[in-house]
Amino acid sequence: MASSDILHVGIDLGTSRSAISASNGERFVVDSFVGWPADMVAKKILKRNVLIGHEAVANRTMLDLHRPLERGLLKEGSDKDVEAVRELLKHLLGLVGAKKNGKVDSNNVRAVIGVPAAALRTNKQYLRNSMKGIVDSLMIVSEPFAVAYGLNALLHTMIIDIGAGTTDFCVMKGRYPTEEDQRTLTIAGDSIDGHLLKLIEDRYPQANVTVFMVREWKEKFSFVGPPAQPALVTAPVKGVPTELDITNEIKAACETILPPILETTLDLLSRVEPEFQERVRNNVILSGGGGLIRNLPKAIEDSLKQVGGGKVTYMEDPVFVGSDGGLALALDAPDSDWERLSA
Amino acid sequence: MRAGNIDRVKRQLLHDAVTDNLDTIRGRLPRSTRPAQRAGRVWLWRMPLLLIPLTLLGASYFVRGGQPPRLSDFPARTRQPRAAVLHAATIDSIEPVKAAAFPLAVKRVVIDAGHGGKDAGASSASLITEKEITLDIANRLRALLQSGGFEVVVTRSDDRMIPLRERAKLANSSDGDIFVSIHVNSLRSHTVSHGVETYYLGPTKDPLLTQLAAEENGASGYSIADLRKLLDRVYADVRRDESHRLASTVQQQLFTDLQTVDPGLENWGVKRAPFIVLVATDMPAVLAEVGCLSNDREAEMLNRAQYRQQIAQALFRGIFEYARKGT
Repeated sequence: MASSDILHVGIDLGTSRSAISASNGERFVVDSFVGWPADMVAKKILKRNVLIGHEAVANRTMLDLHRPLERGLLKEGSDKDVEAVRELLKHLLGLVGAKKNGKVDSNNVRAVIGVPAAALRTNKQYLRNSMKGIVDSLMIVSEPFAVAYGLNALLHTMIIDIGAGTTDFCVMKGRYPTEEDQRTLTIAGDSIDGHLLKLIEDRYPQANVTVFMVREWKEKFSFVGPPAQPALVTAPVKGVPTELDITNEIKAACETILPPILETTLDLLSRVEPEFQERVRNNVILSGGGGLIRNLPKAIEDSLKQVGGGKVTYMEDPVFVGSDGGLALALDAPDSDWERLSA
Repeated sequence: MRAGNIDRVKRQLLHDAVTDNLDTIRGRLPRSTRPAQRAGRVWLWRMPLLLIPLTLLGASYFVRGGQPPRLSDFPARTRQPRAAVLHAATIDSIEPVKAAAFPLAVKRVVIDAGHGGKDAGASSASLITEKEITLDIANRLRALLQSGGFEVVVTRSDDRMIPLRERAKLANSSDGDIFVSIHVNSLRSHTVSHGVETYYLGPTKDPLLTQLAAEENGASGYSIADLRKLLDRVYADVRRDESHRLASTVQQQLFTDLQTVDPGLENWGVKRAPFIVLVATDMPAVLAEVGCLSNDREAEMLNRAQYRQQIAQALFRGIFEYARKGT
């Protein structure tokens, strides 16, 4: 097979969003939701067997909706979740054009899939088996590792990848990260949503708010520290669209993730060889959707001051940094390795 | 980092990522939880060849009225045809045996100093090697056991490379009552922490065995289910319970004794794994990882005769404790 026929892809299989970067230059991101029509009526209306991403969320009332990597793990024993992962992967591959006659042509796709570090730690084998047969060759790596590789941040750096279900930490020491180098917290975007929903309900008991509305508001207004603008949103109160000020609620909810993240950061730092700690402190990289929380890099930098100060870099393009890293891995791996990684 | 350096590190990382995935495909333990750089790896991959006769041996063990199996009862290495005949009739007639049926009096201890000869095992920055440490501890343990009234058989008494299969054979033919293999860890994931751990043979969650059974299946004509069943029966035998008990007492003693001189020591506990010396020996068998060379401080301690003596004493106390309770 001529190497030009081979499509290399990097996929960031996230708890909230999944992104794909392909060697043909295509990049896409979808919400990690997969839904099947709940009954015959829904099937008739939707005219589809399976819906993915934003469509699935939009039509959720008619769907059996799944988020396959909720909390960073692929639940074992749940066929639907496995099926959802497979549908999600097929969908992503379809988007970048790895299709022939409308079906994904698995014969010439080499994929590097980044998954939450926790998923890799607990059920690597299961994960791999679940993805069998979708692509020709498959390499599964931890998401923060893919990020680090893509950024050439290989030595004396710390990646903090704040996703929806998990926050993954990884200290790169110039070696493939071991368990000791990584931490996973289940404090992340979803837990902010949960707090925010509760805070808004407490303050506006009459308002009719769902977790999906809350998620959109968070993505628009999230911040920690001093507010830059009031967060004004519209929600039905007793059926009447009403403007609500949720600035304080957003701040309080976003700040709930600070203590555990700071604590984990300092803990991981303390495990770095003393002579390299300063370099790691000055090379903290924030990625994932959480990187978009305004002021978060500064908040982490402030906490680093107590151990001598540091620098937190915020990724301008946090959405694709993982999939781009995966693609870099895919392209760098020699043919001989790929041949052994058939899936 | 210079550009050339980045490329080199990237190549290494990529290689590690591929290896990690290949391990997953083969169903092996993740790198961070398995003892590093053991010559046993080679033998582990040859284990399918041994497993069939061994599992059948396990089967025949029960058929023969619960007599402890002795490899010497069979013509060495040629028992497969005979065992295969036994096999057909016996799979369903095996009953697990209660430990109480075998009152164990430990008289003869087989000590196995890990590695040797050109197989140096793990090494540390200061160039002390695993083979030197294990041999020294084994010699010290031998002296202790002998003065305690035990008979001792050693698999190697000098710096020689002895294949694991030969070690197991020697142990079996010498009628040892228990088998203690001494090793030293070197885990690149544990440069800071360090600990002791003891292994015995048993069903792991590790899919390796299933994999091995599957690989062997084509050649043997058995179904995977049959092999699995056979393996399970082997595991169900009295030897596993005894091995576990031995591993527990040894680990307990190792940790409590060594912790007094090395407060940072971690207890990594008793673990099950299919090391070939454990599979192939037909007496209660354990493999103790008495230290961690990847930890600089501990490497330095292992370099001290006094600390090695303490390890030998801890092992002795563990063995003594086991023997005392067993009688």
